[in-house]
Amino acid sequence: MPSISFGALLGNNSNLRARSYVNRLPLFTRAVLVAIVVFWMVGVQSVWDLRAWGALVPDLVGISSLYRLNTYPFIHLNFFHAVMNILALVPLLERFESEHGTLTSLALFFGPFVTIPSFMYLFVEKVILRANTAVMGASIWVFLLLGIEAIRTYKLNPYLVVGTHNIPTWTSPLAILLCVAALVPSSSFLGHLCGLAVGYFCGLGYLKYLAPPEKILRWIEGKLNLLGRLPHYVSVDQKTYGRFGVLPSSGTGALRLRRDPRMLKVPPYLSLLCILVGVVWLFLLPLNEYSRRTYISENALLPGQVHTYFSGSDQNVFRAYKHEVNGLADKSNIEVNDKLESIVKGLGLKTARQNFTYQSAGRVYSGENLYAILQAPRGDATEAIVLVGAWKNVKGELNRNGIPLILTLARYFKRWSLWSKDIIFLVTPDSIAGPQAWVDAYHDAHDSSRVNSLPLKSGLLQGAIAIDYSQETRFESVHIVYDGINGQLPNLDLINSVVSIAGGQMGIGVAIQEMWHHNDQYPDRLRTMLRGMLKQGLGRASGPHSAFIPYHVDAVTLQPFGDGWQDEMAMGRVVEGTFRSLNNLLEHLHQSFFFYLLMQRERFVSIGTYLPSAMLVAANFTIMAIALWVKSGHAEGEGDSKPNTPAAERDLFLPLGVITFVQSIAVIPLHLFNHAPSSALTPTFLLFAALNTALPHLISHYLATYHSPSTQQYHLIKAFSLLLLGMFLSSLATLNFSLALLIGLLASPLTFMRAWPGSPVLRYACTILLNAISPTAVIAAGAVYWGLDLGTVLEEAAFGWDVCGMYTPVVVWCVWWPAWVAGSVVVLGRPKAKESSSQGKGKKAEGKKDL
Amino acid sequence: MRQLFSLFLALLSAASLSSAASDYHEQLVLRPLPLSTLLASFNFRSNITLSSFEAHNFDLFPRSLAQILQHAGTRELHLRFSLGRWDAQSWGARPWDGAREGGTGVELWAWLEAETDEEADQKWRTLTNALSGLFCASLNFIDGTRTTRPVMSFQPEGDHPNATMENMHLLYGVLPHEVVCTENLTPFLKLLPCKGKAGVASLLDGHKLFDASWQSMAIDIRPVCPSGGECVLEIEQTIDMVLDIERSKRPRDNPIPRPVPDHELKCDSSKPYHSHGTCFPTDYSAGQDWSLSQIFGKSIKETCPLTDPSIPPVCLQVPESRSVYASQGSTEKKNPDRMSRCFEIEPETGFEMILPRIETEDPAKSAAVELVKPETPLLYAERSFTGHGQERGGVQTILRNPSLDTEVEFIYMESLPWFMRIYLHTIEARIEGHFGEQEPLIKEVYYRPAVDRARGTQLEVRMRVPPASTVFLTYDFEKSILRYTEYPPDANRGFDVAAAVITILNPEKNGTRFAVYNMRTTSLLCSLPTPDFSMPYNVIIFTSTAIALAFGGMFNILVRRFVAADEGPEMGSTIKEKLGRRIKKLIEKLVKGKTAEKTAAVETKG
Repeated sequence: MPSISFGALLGNNSNLRARSYVNRLPLFTRAVLVAIVVFWMVGVQSVWDLRAWGALVPDLVGISSLYRLNTYPFIHLNFFHAVMNILALVPLLERFESEHGTLTSLALFFGPFVTIPSFMYLFVEKVILRANTAVMGASIWVFLLLGIEAIRTYKLNPYLVVGTHNIPTWTSPLAILLCVAALVPSSSFLGHLCGLAVGYFCGLGYLKYLAPPEKILRWIEGKLNLLGRLPHYVSVDQKTYGRFGVLPSSGTGALRLRRDPRMLKVPPYLSLLCILVGVVWLFLLPLNEYSRRTYISENALLPGQVHTYFSGSDQNVFRAYKHEVNGLADKSNIEVNDKLESIVKGLGLKTARQNFTYQSAGRVYSGENLYAILQAPRGDATEAIVLVGAWKNVKGELNRNGIPLILTLARYFKRWSLWSKDIIFLVTPDSIAGPQAWVDAYHDAHDSSRVNSLPLKSGLLQGAIAIDYSQETRFESVHIVYDGINGQLPNLDLINSVVSIAGGQMGIGVAIQEMWHHNDQYPDRLRTMLRGMLKQGLGRASGPHSAFIPYHVDAVTLQPFGDGWQDEMAMGRVVEGTFRSLNNLLEHLHQSFFFYLLMQRERFVSIGTYLPSAMLVAANFTIMAIALWVKSGHAEGEGDSKPNTPAAERDLFLPLGVITFVQSIAVIPLHLFNHAPSSALTPTFLLFAALNTALPHLISHYLATYHSPSTQQYHLIKAFSLLLLGMFLSSLATLNFSLALLIGLLASPLTFMRAWPGSPVLRYACTILLNAISPTAVIAAGAVYWGLDLGTVLEEAAFGWDVCGMYTPVVVWCVWWPAWVAGSVVVLGRPKAKESSSQGKGKKAEGKKDL
Repeated sequence: MRQLFSLFLALLSAASLSSAASDYHEQLVLRPLPLSTLLASFNFRSNITLSSFEAHNFDLFPRSLAQILQHAGTRELHLRFSLGRWDAQSWGARPWDGAREGGTGVELWAWLEAETDEEADQKWRTLTNALSGLFCASLNFIDGTRTTRPVMSFQPEGDHPNATMENMHLLYGVLPHEVVCTENLTPFLKLLPCKGKAGVASLLDGHKLFDASWQSMAIDIRPVCPSGGECVLEIEQTIDMVLDIERSKRPRDNPIPRPVPDHELKCDSSKPYHSHGTCFPTDYSAGQDWSLSQIFGKSIKETCPLTDPSIPPVCLQVPESRSVYASQGSTEKKNPDRMSRCFEIEPETGFEMILPRIETEDPAKSAAVELVKPETPLLYAERSFTGHGQERGGVQTILRNPSLDTEVEFIYMESLPWFMRIYLHTIEARIEGHFGEQEPLIKEVYYRPAVDRARGTQLEVRMRVPPASTVFLTYDFEKSILRYTEYPPDANRGFDVAAAVITILNPEKNGTRFAVYNMRTTSLLCSLPTPDFSMPYNVIIFTSTAIALAFGGMFNILVRRFVAADEGPEMGSTIKEKLGRRIKKLIEKLVKGKTAEKTAAVETKG
């Protein structure tokens, strides 16, 4: 029975409705339903072939087997066929019967409605097509009834407007017919079409005379007293109003559940569940079942498919260039660029320079970029790829082998005529500010007072590779650094190409996230993933490549490491292979993933798999916020056990005021830490941390003294704060998953904070807990844990904000910090419990009077 | 350089004047350029009197092309196939003053004789379709959106009688995305009387031509009326290419630039660290040696017998001091300017030429011996996109006038695709490092806005660049979103934007030539907002649409029920009744509230 499956699927309330629906089915519909079920049951046994007996087989229809014309709609191929037809037929037949009466339905469905379509079918199948396909099943009636309904709909509502086209509504069964013919195997298109045609005829009124005359029906009804004798009988006279009957009373089912006060106790547990599931989800990701092996999506890349020829006498040239670079080790930026420019110009490349001066935290970061363009032979300056080498890497070491390698590669690349894109060789004085200035200027997004425009330009940048090779000895493996600013990542295809070229073609190991040794087991995968997430969450630039990624230029930095037998030429061949792959690109890298977490060089999870984790954590705040909002709408106290607690009016002004105030003062720390000079950063931070501890107490004291907020108002403060936090974090999760998750987890205790009017011990325990996870405390703890100077951390954050456009400070100070302050205020709150509630009532009464 | 070429032009035209109609001649001019490159300019010219043209007596004029011209009513035609970019910084001024080159891809402009614009469009369509078949190029894709009618940039090169001038329509179309390759060269050579089998045309080989750093194939057809003589229709076919000598010298069966053996590496031995395994290279300063067969893969086997013997077929522009060895059967003729020489070849003999390596110690000196110093062009132009993101962007053209005393006036023409909607108010020209009041740089703007999917933007700007200054011409544009089906298969590559055409006007207003110099900027690649065309995306949108359409309709029919208003059950739903009920409720509420208050008051009293 369909009702059973419906009920199981849709829960208690729907079950009720479905049951009532089934109970109200009229007689003939029931009879047909029972007949179909009985025929199916009979057909289950294997002794007698029911289907061969009852189906409409064109060749077997004769005078003695005319019964087939009536039996075939009741017989079905299999259980699925029967169920689907019942589901489709019952509502239609029920409607027909309740409109036309049981007797009419009986007469029509055992007469013309079954015979006419079958005669039509026999005629077409046997005479025209000369085929012999057996048909069975009630679907012919389904289409017949659909045809009738469609004509009726057409009369009332002739067109379905899709865009600018008017589609006549009578065609909708045809569309369904086509869909069924296309989607359902072994369905009889012709049979359905015959049914539909009869349906259309009937709907248009041509078959009216086939229905038994009303007078006779009335007479039969009267004589036999059918109405009295048969249950669910639909009389000829009976009108069909209220086809669906009266809905089940609203006091039952879901509505009753909604009123249940126990419902309000669920959200905290639900929130907790969300957090737990979110965390567990994260820890499941490194398992084989949840992560995937990487693969190359973009066929044009063909990584490792070409021979690389960078070797032989080019090594002599490399050694000479290395001597030159070593000679420049402690020269000034300008002298270095003069010398390098003369070398590059000697190779026949076009060179240009660019000055930049950034100021951040009272410090000046200035320098001069040097770049050269190798114009693609036969190319037209429409596309370009970049090879970057910073004179000094992120740690401040001289890029001793990287710069000579770039010079040698420039000379080597010049010899090839196969480049389809210009190649730009960029040498920057440092690893972050220089590339940033260059990329900004390349896209004309620079502030021309600090950064010069580029005198020489090429086409769209398609990719960039940075070489950070400061190691003096031979290396073992290549480390790929891929984190961009604000946790943006390069296309996974680029990383895969490097892995495939270095690992697959050259036999050089590849590492990511400073996991120098990776055994591809769960702990190592998890560690790699967490490191990646932490870097992504902090959102800082991790190398010369980082500046490219916000401009949708996919870039990675390659760092040789370890003690092995690979020499500089091997590194050069890796770069050559990667450039050959990038050169093959017909389109911008777009095929593969931009959102992923790597847990090993060949294993990743994509956004669809990992995003629920952060979303669940963010959702926990929203759930709690909604629960608190609902709760604040109930008057407190007496009504907890009763089903109908009186509704309370929400006093919104104070909570909204508190939230607005806290959100707006968030600008202060943001401004303070991004504009204070570096020497003042640490003292400022300590002072701010101290103030930060006191701030909730001050606000709380002020509120208690001047406004004496009620429990409801505290609920609302918390609800709004959590609502904002949930909203911000869920949108942030789509941009920077790791940051959203990190902040979400650190802020998760805020969900469970509440005022403790009766218990000072709990209140102070909560306050201490909150202070331990305050933004300031977390920043300080992080600095201590990683052995960094607090001043350095703050300076770096300011630098990221000023130079790279990193938005992590905004998230910390304008999303997390206000939520934390609001949470602390709630914990410290002392609502006026009983008195305030009666006061609230008084207010409410007043309010009503005003109305 | 310019003078030299004009000299050759003059020579050629003088020759064409002296010899009567239906003659043919060809010439190859070789000119070494800095950075070990070589410019090779092939020029083939033939003509036919207009009367025999009308009489379908085509003689040496290619018949296939002539019939197309007649069919499409074309009076003058210019067709360009170009690839690569001219490096003006190192190579100097362009050959033929830029008059024989186009922007990257295919460019076509023609003067058609037609009564109305519609007729001209019809003929233009006929012409592009016919040429498309003839040259194996997608010229038939020059539709309404890619066709413009330039107003200022082009003037007819030929002599047209005033009667026809009135009915002539100039149409200009460009295909920046078209990749020029061998399939375009073959039909080009077939138009020649000797079909590339003999004469200088036999040097043209697809492998060498399309390995060039820059190459341009041009066909120009125009009527020429010499004073006193009969009008002739002249066809001029030009191929210019810049070959990298070192790359061309590589053997064809081993083109991979493998590192040379250690001992062949040219090193700077003056470096203190110079040793066996360490070598500071000195490649590009030394003079190159080359020969005709090394550069082109073969030498000229035989001269074309149809060519006019009075024009020397091969010319070389090197200083007189440079020694050149030519094969037997040829005579060297030095030009009086001491910077070029020509070779006359006896009929039915081959020709080979060798330029030996220059053995000098001083690299600067060797450059002076090796090549004629390139002439500075009148203007440098460089165009690029500004801005980022997929919503809007900008175009910036940097125009530099290297001359210290003469101002350059020119027309800058852009024909942009319709999906780049330019903001005309943002068009601005400013001199670098020059602020304050000055005479306006832009003198005249002709702008024809785009119509979505019907025609592109046409922008012509007449402007000037003062001496020794750099002008930035910038404008902003918005990127439109295309329809799903309008994206090409490689949507993420971006969309090519045709090169801007710069026509430098003749300062002598009544001079014979309209333009003194032509140039094209490089083309651009504009990335538009592109939907994700990946398979999962398609599956999701298509199945969602199917479900929404098919099952939505079915569900609607099953569930919804239309009942006429008078048939329906009595709900008491007239507005009056509703209102009445509301009011009743409200009154009840108020009364209740009052009594409650009263009781409260009583309580407090009590």
